[in-house]
Amino acid sequence: MSTKADAILTPPPSSEQEASLLEVLDHVLNAGVVLHGSLVISVAGVDLIYLGLNVILTSIETALKHIHRQQLGS
Amino acid sequence: MARDSAQPDRLLYLYGISAKAPAIKPADSVDGLSVVERLEDAGLVAWFSRVAPAEFGEKLATNMENLEWLSGASVRHQRTVSEISDSVTLLPARFGTVFNSDQSLLEHIREQKGALTAALARIEGTEEWGVKLFLNPSPPASPIEITSGRDYLRAKSAMVQTRKHTELDPDVVEFARELQSVAVDSAPSGKVSSGQNNLEWQASFLVRKKDRPKWDRVLKKYATRWADRREIQCTGPWPPYSFV
Repeated sequence: MSTKADAILTPPPSSEQEASLLEVLDHVLNAGVVLHGSLVISVAGVDLIYLGLNVILTSIETALKHIHRQQLGS
Repeated sequence: MARDSAQPDRLLYLYGISAKAPAIKPADSVDGLSVVERLEDAGLVAWFSRVAPAEFGEKLATNMENLEWLSGASVRHQRTVSEISDSVTLLPARFGTVFNSDQSLLEHIREQKGALTAALARIEGTEEWGVKLFLNPSPPASPIEITSGRDYLRAKSAMVQTRKHTELDPDVVEFARELQSVAVDSAPSGKVSSGQNNLEWQASFLVRKKDRPKWDRVLKKYATRWADRREIQCTGPWPPYSFV
């Protein structure tokens, strides 16, 4: 019988999935050829993109720490 | 007129530039809806999709702060670029490179033809590999007896400080040098995952496909040598995102 209680009897989500998304972000967002002046968002500028990234970066770090702590605690 | 330049119907989202135009139809695209198209000019081929300005125009910067949007878009970007790269040497474009019109895209390719051709020659026959070193955590050194809040903070501060390494372990330097000797080029890795726990060091390498066996040998050698002390994580092959 599958009850609501069984829902907790699964292993914590593996950090592998997180890691692979991180890898994609690491590489995809690392660089890439820039055709100067061609960006529609050049008003905002590439720097702004990276500025935005800091916010994400922090949230990912926090998420990772959280996951790790859960694993340690279990 | 003003409307045309302010709000084009579609934007061209660029994946990259190649010298040849194999007849392939990548299954994915950055928005998951559009098809991948090609434009040829001046002996170069631009690979792109026609995407909605609402998503990739002015809102792009905001979207990039939305982790959910960014995850989907960057994974689809990676899949598309990767699929094109399987058939032809592709200079990957920076994530989020968009153009107003066919005209503006072609103009910029023509303008930068020299640099693009040189960059293409440089990455010919290579792929990018990401290497990370994780230190296997050792138990915290002699935990002091905590009897007060101040002690707790001291202990905490000591723990945090021991984790901050200003200098790389000589072993790691040796490892990096050996990888560099096999690779064509190396670059610092992206910062997105730099907050991962126990991450000791990371870098990206541009490796010739024919040097793969040598590359694997170096990794294997150190993996054996470090067995319990460190974990080596190597990912790839990636399109040469970090080397264009």
